[in-house]
Amino acid sequence: MKCLPALALGLLVLAACSKPSTGAGSGPGSAHITVFAASSLTGAFTEIGKQYEASNPGAKVDFSFGPSDGLAQQIDQGAPADVFASASTKWMNDVSRNGPGVSGEVTFAQNKLVVITPKDNPAHVGSFEDLASPGVQLVVAAEGVPAGDYAREALDNAGIAQKAEANIVSNEQDDAAVVQKVASGEADAGVVYRSDVSAVSGANVKAVVISDSVNVIATYPIAAVAGPDSSVEASRFVSYVTGPEGQKVLDAFGFLPAPG
Amino acid sequence: MRGRTPAAFALLAAAAVAFIALPLLGLIARAPWSQATAVISSPEALSALRLSLVVSTTAALITVTLGVPLAWVLTRARFPGRSLVRALAVLPLVLPPVVAGVALLAAFGRRGMFGPLLRAAGVQLPFSTAGAIVATAFVSLPLVVLAVESGLRSLDPRFEQAAAAMGASRWYAARRITLPLIAPQVLAGAVLAWARALGEFGATLMFAGNLQGKTQTLPLAVFQEGQQDPGAALVLALVLVVVSVAVLFALRSRVLPSR
Repeated sequence: MKCLPALALGLLVLAACSKPSTGAGSGPGSAHITVFAASSLTGAFTEIGKQYEASNPGAKVDFSFGPSDGLAQQIDQGAPADVFASASTKWMNDVSRNGPGVSGEVTFAQNKLVVITPKDNPAHVGSFEDLASPGVQLVVAAEGVPAGDYAREALDNAGIAQKAEANIVSNEQDDAAVVQKVASGEADAGVVYRSDVSAVSGANVKAVVISDSVNVIATYPIAAVAGPDSSVEASRFVSYVTGPEGQKVLDAFGFLPAPG
Repeated sequence: MRGRTPAAFALLAAAAVAFIALPLLGLIARAPWSQATAVISSPEALSALRLSLVVSTTAALITVTLGVPLAWVLTRARFPGRSLVRALAVLPLVLPPVVAGVALLAAFGRRGMFGPLLRAAGVQLPFSTAGAIVATAFVSLPLVVLAVESGLRSLDPRFEQAAAAMGASRWYAARRITLPLIAPQVLAGAVLAWARALGEFGATLMFAGNLQGKTQTLPLAVFQEGQQDPGAALVLALVLVVVSVAVLFALRSRVLPSR
């Protein structure tokens, strides 16, 4: 049993190497924060981050973009997020209840859905209802992903859920993947956020408006993640996003302002 | 006689074992065992498992059919650019699977280089089971090539020389002498390719998409369940581990030469 001490030592080495990192290295005095944000915010938040760093010397913002549900689970499991910006209240609530908790939660933007097709629109999709036409190869985000849940809700509102869902050829991991599949021409149509196809996003697709009577409004909450070191910097960044500078960028990226 | 193992090696080997075992242990510890039967017997899980077995087995057959001749040519034939072809043959092994998916789309997607040709033939690979098979075969082909190559290189040439001296044709010698001799390496390559295909995720998601019963293999189901029901994802992940371990274990003596 000579190998037992070796095994124990090996485990010790591992344990020593894996000291939990605290708040992405945001110790007291450090102006370094990590922001977990829904993938639909990738363009807007990257820009906001740049402006925030420029107007706050010494500040450093790192982003982790991904599907809100995945980010929430990572935070719940102890991922070092200082700020969480979600594409639905559902996953903010999840962090609030099952994770480290949040503080200063506020709605900072809204979004709604559009239909996208490749530039040459091979399946001749001219309206939301056309998604139910036979043979249209439709891609949406998977169930559980906010963009996917909203898309199904809108199809349901329009009374075309059954036929359109039969046209789904792929459930993608997030809205960005849906845009990619449609822009490359592999799929005939997709349902994504308005912000995914704003002029600045540069997405190589054609957008078809969905009427407000059936459309779904996505609500984006942001909050400081209340770990042991929920920092001043985190709430400063949240204020920046909800403030005039942040809102201007979000508007340019096709987001709608928060209500009220 | 076995040589003595330096203490440092024993230590690092133990760390290696822990490195592989601990995540599996975590999986077992965190899986919600009370829901296990419900998750495994759900139509989603069963269809993902069935699809995974179909896709990975077909992919393994394809890789053996293509990989054995390729390994043969790489070890036996002399031609200009051979080292380049050899590098190409193992490229999918080091290519990020997502890149493999993008490349496959660029070649065989609807708008890919050969898309119009495929369409004329009535074939659409993206969003189809055939596409999932193509994606998994692409990433696992090098494993067959490498395994068979090593078999061919370590082969004693005298058997084939004797066969040739006795007037056997090349094809006869290959079929009756060489291939039986390297059968263990062919099988090893096939099993490794099969296991790699079973676990394939990135290229499949990118090239074939994710639709239950059609392209949603077990790894994709694990990923999608992770977005809705993390507990179910853990159970499905364990199913994947159990299936892989069972096959590797059943074929252990043939695949992993134990001395």
